[in-house]
Amino acid sequence: MAVVEAPVEHAVSQRRVSGWTVVLAQELRDLWLGGRGLVLCFVFSILVSVIAYLVASSTGFNFLEQRESASLTLQAAITCGGLLALLVAADSVSGERERGTLETMLLTPVPRRQIAVGKLLAALSLWLACFVVAIPYVWLLGRDVGVVDEALVAGFVVGTLLALFLVSVGLVLSVFASSNRISLSVSLFLLLALLAPTQLPSGVEQAWAGELVVNTNPLTAGIHYIGRIVISGHGWSDDVHLLYAPVLAACVSVLVAIFVAGRFMRLRGGVSG
Amino acid sequence: MPAVEAAGIRKQYGSLVALEAFHLSVEPGEVLGVLGPNGAGKTTAIRILTTILQPDRGSFTVAGIQNGRANAIRQKIGVLPESAGYPERQRAEEYLRFHARLFGHSRASARAVADRLLEDVGLHERRRSLIGTFSRGMRQRLGLARTLVNDPSVVFLDEPTLGLDPAGQLQVLRHVRAIASERGAAVLLCSHLLAEVEENCSRVVILNRGHVVAEGTVAEVVRKAAAPRSVRLHVAPEQAERAAALLADSPAVHSVERADGRPGNLTLVLAVRSGESDDAILKDAIRVLLDADVELRSLELEGARLSDAFLAMTEAA
Repeated sequence: MAVVEAPVEHAVSQRRVSGWTVVLAQELRDLWLGGRGLVLCFVFSILVSVIAYLVASSTGFNFLEQRESASLTLQAAITCGGLLALLVAADSVSGERERGTLETMLLTPVPRRQIAVGKLLAALSLWLACFVVAIPYVWLLGRDVGVVDEALVAGFVVGTLLALFLVSVGLVLSVFASSNRISLSVSLFLLLALLAPTQLPSGVEQAWAGELVVNTNPLTAGIHYIGRIVISGHGWSDDVHLLYAPVLAACVSVLVAIFVAGRFMRLRGGVSG
Repeated sequence: MPAVEAAGIRKQYGSLVALEAFHLSVEPGEVLGVLGPNGAGKTTAIRILTTILQPDRGSFTVAGIQNGRANAIRQKIGVLPESAGYPERQRAEEYLRFHARLFGHSRASARAVADRLLEDVGLHERRRSLIGTFSRGMRQRLGLARTLVNDPSVVFLDEPTLGLDPAGQLQVLRHVRAIASERGAAVLLCSHLLAEVEENCSRVVILNRGHVVAEGTVAEVVRKAAAPRSVRLHVAPEQAERAAALLADSPAVHSVERADGRPGNLTLVLAVRSGESDDAILKDAIRVLLDADVELRSLELEGARLSDAFLAMTEAA
């Protein structure tokens, strides 16, 4: 075996390589070429298929109009896609910590904020893939009533805002969690808690307290916005107040995630030390 | 200028003081052994010097860079942590290229560096294999290659031979020596294997309960330890009983034992006599045998090894 040779002059790039792009590229390779992303997308497509089948095919079971079917399928796609992106983000730091690969990354000169940005965007790619998978279903259910374009644009905008919010929350949890299991289970619980107001009876939703909950919770507000566009046929700006919470949540959570990762991404989880 | 210089470093976890008044100095091209029992503070010291942990007190420089400039220090160091994990689904060359890119290499340069280092550590033929298929020894060599992607001035190796078979240990240690001698990098080698440290390190630091209890060359540390010396003798087997009796009566000898199943082997502990050196006491003991025409075939002074000094210092503290 050759002995380690004295270094030849290898050029460290004169053009500054952005750490986050390197991290993002590797995370995308690990997620998609490693197969995990494809498996999650496959699970997602089965879920959306089942939902689309139930809302569209059985007239005995289905009391929904076609607009409602398209909207419901889109909302389910946003929720499931967001969930999968959230879980990938929740695994991104605590998982690496448990697999022992975080330390070598922290030992590189790439600032931790840039590591976080790379991981965050990689997790977001899962939502984008899920959205692409959902397009044919929305087209199939919405083409006869002419809501495909509106549904896809609204779904993409709202879904991306919600996915940004969820992956940022997942990343923050992952930075602080003392184990990967805690990170994943708290993330799942949080998503279910955010979705709980969607089950409020319509009477409660219309009361001022119910309306406040719906409008301030980014998930319910976003889902209601899609409903207004796709089902009620409202214009883009008619219910723009429903976009305040998703936009605010996405912006604030991304900034918080980047700050938290830069400050607290460490070898050990937990809030101390 | 020292490659690493640390002074007065303290680190506390809750009520546990992991390091207290830690100091060291390492010159370029030197291999420094960092020794200590479990929980002595070795890994904490390495993590502080590699900027993973912040010291509560004290300061250090690595490659002339002050400890406040963590990113600049990371650019100059290579680290093989004890608990390093490897992404099972990445290929060896992909893993090295990724790390080279994180250190600022362009795509082409990262590929060239990965190729060269894989060649150096004998993994070039397996460059396209998944890391998940690698043995522990291969992973350690890959980890060693990773520590060199940025051509570091200082290399920190935490238990690099842990869990390796003897052949794997030799391979890794050959690389460690080459890193210091051919690259001129300073190497800090943490290890539990004292023979490994004794053979490969120019100087050693012994840590115990967070304190530096000894430092210097192996000879200096052994001398400072004043380790209780025992001597292993091999005499003609037919004379072993008489030799044991003679030694037992000698004032230079504290106790004598015959090794079971190994005819002719005797282990004796030298007596402690104030004002007399161990060498003089040993000479007296040997003279007893020579005067009685006992055939002395070999002699090994056990207290002169680093392991004896290590035990003396870490058990006494």
